[in-house]
Amino acid sequence: MNKPYPNMQLATAHVIDKIANQPKLKTCGKARVEVNNLNLKRGGRLILNKLNLTLADNGITSIIGPSGAGKSSLLRCINGLDKDWKGKISVDGIASKHWPKGEDALRQHIGLIGQKPTVFPCSITDNVVFGLRGKKRKQASSGLIEYCLKQAALWDEVCDRLAHNAQTLSLGQQQRLCIARALAVKPAVLLLDEPTASLDPRSKNKIEASLHGLGENMPVVVVTHDLEQVRRLGGNALFMCDGMLIEQAESTTLLDTPQRLETREFFQWSTCDCPPEDE
Amino acid sequence: MINRASKFALCLLALPALVVPALCLAYLLMRGLPGLDSSFFGLSTLEQSRDTASLSNQHGIFPQIMGSVLLSALACSIAMPLALGLSLHNQLYAGRRSQSLMVHVLTTFQSIPPLVYGLCGLVVFVHLLQWGISLAAGAIVLAMIVLPVLTLNTIHALERIPTALTDSARSLGMSAGQIIWHVWRPKAWRSLLTGLFLAIARTLSETAPILFTATVFSGVIWPDSLLSPVTSLQTHIFYLAQEAVDERILAHAWSSALILVTLVVMFSVIAHFLNRHSSGNE
Repeated sequence: MNKPYPNMQLATAHVIDKIANQPKLKTCGKARVEVNNLNLKRGGRLILNKLNLTLADNGITSIIGPSGAGKSSLLRCINGLDKDWKGKISVDGIASKHWPKGEDALRQHIGLIGQKPTVFPCSITDNVVFGLRGKKRKQASSGLIEYCLKQAALWDEVCDRLAHNAQTLSLGQQQRLCIARALAVKPAVLLLDEPTASLDPRSKNKIEASLHGLGENMPVVVVTHDLEQVRRLGGNALFMCDGMLIEQAESTTLLDTPQRLETREFFQWSTCDCPPEDE
Repeated sequence: MINRASKFALCLLALPALVVPALCLAYLLMRGLPGLDSSFFGLSTLEQSRDTASLSNQHGIFPQIMGSVLLSALACSIAMPLALGLSLHNQLYAGRRSQSLMVHVLTTFQSIPPLVYGLCGLVVFVHLLQWGISLAAGAIVLAMIVLPVLTLNTIHALERIPTALTDSARSLGMSAGQIIWHVWRPKAWRSLLTGLFLAIARTLSETAPILFTATVFSGVIWPDSLLSPVTSLQTHIFYLAQEAVDERILAHAWSSALILVTLVVMFSVIAHFLNRHSSGNE
């Protein structure tokens, strides 16, 4: 039976302790992502507008901003899912459009996890190794599967039913399975687009704890609307609005003392429970 | 009261759509069933096609059934890979404009009368390429007819696969081939089979195009090569009905029609069953 926790901080601390005692994940190594003058147009609308930013080579970076600010589009551009952008994205100094082994290899190098957990209609084990190619998939060791599931803080819950269909898992578990699946291909960067949206607090705290562990080994970028989550995750935070980077700072500094008017206004609306006044 | 009246009016409007085919089917059964005996499915062919007296006793429709099945199988084997290629290209590489253009073009091709395809086949394959009336010419013409149906069906089947699944696979660095095999195939195969069975049913029901390009009335049990003519159930019924002066010949035509309708309905029912199953899975 699961141990009850009086508050979220204690629960998070417990899961962080568990993860800290696990062996570290071997990834491709730390990667530095630089975005220069990035423009993305869709349907005549400018989604990303001359965006410049550099992501730290490890630790967590949270991206916050109003809906339509271009946060998710930025992640899709970095991962290579969106290709019709202009400007330059470089990973470890190599332009992503000229990635040595092609765009598939780039996407393997930069893991992306979407907002809605998407598991494939097969077993939990098969889901974890889904991204591995050819022989690697067949020869994937049970050690790798256990490793990835532990890193995603899911092992304890599924270790006795690895052959079960992944679609039988809860939403929170499915999202952690997506994290494990992304880790199995050993990415150098992990991008997460609102990974805890529509999840219950318990699942949220497990995912956050998992991200804390991962952030020690690789750069982890999290798009979120939850300002408290930004505080809990720590690391750096970026504020985006209208496709531009407005402000970038250490997360508590950005949350407590925002410098720009747009950021302050967004925080005001985000913390205010009352509905906006009619114009 | 108004609700009941409108319900009654709608039922009245829907009634002919149900009753007319049911009556046709009942009449077909009534006329076709008496002629079905073991000799009807026999191998013997009628060399003297105009010898009406011996027709109903000696002439089996086995060659015609096999001819129809052969034409249909060949046509679908040509059309299916092309349809798959077109739809996969459409989903993987075409832009939104090209995708929409392709759907429009295919819908237009779908609405062209099959007779036109038959005429084109006659001009190009039979006369220009000098293949003559042949299995190959008929199969290609039938393939052209079902290609839009199959392609549109495959495109729709692929479109029904959630984009999130494809995006998840792509974001893992999976190649197009891996996505097709590991993500799309398990999700879409039932819909693809549905389309294939509908295409088979369609090829079995086409008469005019193969009348010009592939079939003869009799004298053939099994074609010697792709460039030999075949006999088919559809055109057999057509010839019999056109030239019948004897009630026995007409009875033979009705029985042949019953077999043809049974084949078409059988494939349509399989398609419907698969479609229902695949919708249930999604």
